[in-house]
Amino acid sequence: MIEVKHLTKSYGSVQAVHDVSFTVGDKEVVGFLGPNGAGKTTTLRIIAGFLGATRGRVTVDGIDTVRDPVRARYRIGYMPENVPLYPEMRVGEYLQFRAELKGVPRARRKQAVERAMDDVRIHDHAQVLIGNLSKGYRQRVGLADALVARPSVLVLDEPTAGLDPNQIREVRELIRTVAEQHAVLLSTHIMSEVEATCDRALVIDRGRLVAQGTLDALRTLRRSGATRFVVRGDGARAVEVLKNTGEIHDVRDVRRIADAVVLEARWAAMADPTRETEQAVHRLVAADLKLQEVSPVKTSLEDVFALLTEEEPRESDPSVEVEDSAASREEVEP
Amino acid sequence: MTGFWPIFKRDLFALFVTPMAWALMVIFLLLEGLNFYWLTVHFANQVDLAVDHGPLQWFFGETVLFYLPLLMLPPALTMRSFAEERRAGTIESLLTAPVSTPGIVLAKWCASFVTYLVAWAPTVLYIVILRRAGEVDWRVVASSYLGVILIGASFLAIGVLMSAMSKSQFVAVLLSLAVTVGLFILGIGEFVFDRGLAHDICSHVSIWSQMADFSKGQIDSRYVVFHLSLIVLPLFICVRVVDSWRWG
Repeated sequence: MIEVKHLTKSYGSVQAVHDVSFTVGDKEVVGFLGPNGAGKTTTLRIIAGFLGATRGRVTVDGIDTVRDPVRARYRIGYMPENVPLYPEMRVGEYLQFRAELKGVPRARRKQAVERAMDDVRIHDHAQVLIGNLSKGYRQRVGLADALVARPSVLVLDEPTAGLDPNQIREVRELIRTVAEQHAVLLSTHIMSEVEATCDRALVIDRGRLVAQGTLDALRTLRRSGATRFVVRGDGARAVEVLKNTGEIHDVRDVRRIADAVVLEARWAAMADPTRETEQAVHRLVAADLKLQEVSPVKTSLEDVFALLTEEEPRESDPSVEVEDSAASREEVEP
Repeated sequence: MTGFWPIFKRDLFALFVTPMAWALMVIFLLLEGLNFYWLTVHFANQVDLAVDHGPLQWFFGETVLFYLPLLMLPPALTMRSFAEERRAGTIESLLTAPVSTPGIVLAKWCASFVTYLVAWAPTVLYIVILRRAGEVDWRVVASSYLGVILIGASFLAIGVLMSAMSKSQFVAVLLSLAVTVGLFILGIGEFVFDRGLAHDICSHVSIWSQMADFSKGQIDSRYVVFHLSLIVLPLFICVRVVDSWRWG
């Protein structure tokens, strides 16, 4: 389990990371999401112990990474960005070296290396010089290295960068398998990556954590919240009724399906979508309109991400804690 | 000292599995072989041998062919140690492994030191050959090698530090050459200044005078202390430099 508290890192006057706090629980895959240069790598490097923080504290399984660095690093399997490896070593030799370095006892070392190679399926490449490996295989060696000492926490910096779609799928599957025993924190700037592998996401922008929560919670983030109403009958009247409902920002007539009209209502910034939806349903029913379907509009994570990272972060509270309840979904019988 | 042993083995491996160590050793042994050849040619025609200017004194310090490799080999052996790890980025996986900084620094220095010893080892053969042609005082041989080892060890420590202070091997080798050659030239100052503080300082650090003493069987404890501190100090600074990367 990783606990990060009020982490700040400055390079001179430039603040790369500003007051970032989060936790990654056991058996949880957390995606660390942000555009390039947002401070992802810096944060991961601080957790892994490669960089020191200007302020704040990181603990891994309760061990402080600054006070007890060596003991903390025993518990972390870290895969740096771009996976630096020694080109003159063979894959097996390299993993053997890393296992020894990470304190795997001699008696168990061979077995640990075999297991790590099995996990990432590079057994047939054990005798290949690392310098001759393709990008995908280098990535796997990096993952095997992170796994070899069976640490309780995995920190992976852009684990699928530069891989082809097949390799990406394999690495994602691998991460899911690995997560059954480890806490995993992985960084990426690709949204679909998080959707495919993570339970939870942290969104960082310009060094500040701008949102965190489960994927569903992030998708139905209030500020981008909208509800779809499928109404049979008089579409124009339905729009009118909806527009008169309290906190609706605007209503769009999206399309028609047979005799039904699909309307999308975007809620005002401060509205509570659950309550507003209930009210809207009451009014529509009261107005004798036949309601076929009511559902929250799933915004893609891309939309959320763009929304979260394009604005200036708010001064008072940089992070938006998103509750699962915001992801409520209502079905109304026609 | 966590992590010393695997890093030491890997660095030694990296030196010997690449042509690096072999190329350096070939050049080194060529120069030393040339030195020995001249020595035999020179002394073959010498009828009367002075006690303190014999073949051993020649071999251990009276020719440029001794000092050239002595000054050049350590920087070349250590230039990769940190600079290459930083260039390739492997320093990140190294420093995030459960290892202590003194362990890393010491392992890198020891690996280059062992390679240095391996390079010098075949030169013992020359002494064996000399022994077949006449008397050899093995105590003088031992003190000469002690000098070679001490000077090499301290130059390697300087080399490791310089490698940690630069991101490219090329800059690292230039920096450590500047220090080792600079130290040698400073020592030559002993013959430039007649007396006074400058003369004392220069003679104290003079590699030339030190080797002249060592090759005559004299072990001056001041020189031993000088080189031991020249090993400890750069390595200590190196540990601080590596630690400082985390806080940069």
